[in-house]
Amino acid sequence: MIIVIDGINQHKFKDVLDDMFKLRARVFGDRLGWEVNIVDGRERDMFDDLNPAHVVSINDEGEVVGCMRLLQTTGPHMLSDVFNSILDGEPPLRSSQVWEATRFCVDTKKLGRGRGKNSVSYVTSEVMIGSFEYAKTAGVLDSIAVIDPVMNRVLQRSGNAPYDYLGSAKPMGKVVAMAALMDCSDERISGIRDYAGIDHDVFMSDEQALELFAQGKTEAPANTNHQPLTDLEKYFVEQMNAAKTEAERQDVLKLIETLMDTFTPEQRTALLETPRAFAHEA
Amino acid sequence: MKLIDLAALDHEEKSTADVINSVCEELGFDYASYATMNPVKGDVQGYANYPDEWKIHYGSHGYHHFDPTIYQSVLSIAPVDWSRFNQDENFNAVFRDAHDFGITPRGLTVPVRGPYGECGILSVTRDCSDGEWEKLKKHVMGDLQMAAVHAHDMVMQSGVLAKALYLPALSTREKEILQWVAEGKSQQDVGDILSISHRTVEVHMRSGREKLGALTTPQAIGRAIGLGLIAPG
Repeated sequence: MIIVIDGINQHKFKDVLDDMFKLRARVFGDRLGWEVNIVDGRERDMFDDLNPAHVVSINDEGEVVGCMRLLQTTGPHMLSDVFNSILDGEPPLRSSQVWEATRFCVDTKKLGRGRGKNSVSYVTSEVMIGSFEYAKTAGVLDSIAVIDPVMNRVLQRSGNAPYDYLGSAKPMGKVVAMAALMDCSDERISGIRDYAGIDHDVFMSDEQALELFAQGKTEAPANTNHQPLTDLEKYFVEQMNAAKTEAERQDVLKLIETLMDTFTPEQRTALLETPRAFAHEA
Repeated sequence: MKLIDLAALDHEEKSTADVINSVCEELGFDYASYATMNPVKGDVQGYANYPDEWKIHYGSHGYHHFDPTIYQSVLSIAPVDWSRFNQDENFNAVFRDAHDFGITPRGLTVPVRGPYGECGILSVTRDCSDGEWEKLKKHVMGDLQMAAVHAHDMVMQSGVLAKALYLPALSTREKEILQWVAEGKSQQDVGDILSISHRTVEVHMRSGREKLGALTTPQAIGRAIGLGLIAPG
């Protein structure tokens, strides 16, 4: 599902954005070899400081699996300030009804092949639908996207071919970048929806997105973040394994809660939320 | 930080007030306002066709210091429906007394960003039902976007320095298309002549019109000829 994070709600989504910057570092830095600035495993540039809109896809497991960044072409944007060589020395488009799309990526490590819900193809379509519908509602008619030839082929294959290109493809580091034009029209949106088999509303409210993302954080293996088990923790694990009825299980949980102060907050959450998850480590 | 009513300063800036009024008349809004922040002094300057009593009330209470329809909306790239500020105490502080002045809290703000990072906002309000409001938004959002950038560029171009910086930079494609239109060719003709889709012709024309601050293609052609960017047809 899609959440749009902009300058107004970004304070609620610091952790989601952090995961998104990490995803961008893995894709643009590690996999594609773009000349991007990566600090501390996160890829960010000056345009992220200009309050762009981030269209972010979060999967059912609560993980950030795709994103795209949108900027107005009336103000500073990448084609006017960074990628201008693509335009062969020509000034960029400037229109309140054209938005620029950049940093489009999906997590190819977490997502598989095919067309199912956890596929590269599905998330690509979902991010595209989210972006085009968000733009269309804003009265925007076209978008200009900076993409590479691989993404270009993906778009052509998924019912979403650009209708034209500006300037010419130019090498950027190890890859080639090009500027593709796509209309934000009902025809294009329904084309992508048909291809991907997505007919539901793709947008989540802020609250739904936060809940889904938090779910992803707690479902992670319970004992990955802290020290080896203490004797007390081991005792609880044994008790939990020995518990045969729901009442006995509840008693163990109650005991954990009574002894709250002996644990760090992480340990406490881990113990209470998924007491069985770390059993095999005991 | 002051609140400056630009309409009170007479000269050509009147034309931005015209944009504001025509937004209400043609698109069906009760009131409209344009505002921009002077990046040096932090003054909020703008135009509004709100009743004078509301303007005075607004200014004297210093609402322009914290009104979220100004300060939050510039953080978005898309138009911001004021329903997004329902829980915002600053919003409720500004609009608590609005009823007494015949002002509705139902509105939206279109943010504009300029090439130097400066921001402007066009806000509109209309007292109507939820259904009517959603329908209206769908219908006029594109026009509102154009009106917003138009109002913003007008204010920016009124300065002498800005005038020099804002000489429209048309691309070869934009000039070429305007030139063919000046020769009397239709959009479809131009596409055929240049071997590009009519959608591409349209996107360049729209960009060209906005760079020239023109509302219509004939007006854009006139300005482009006047500026010596294309030749008379």
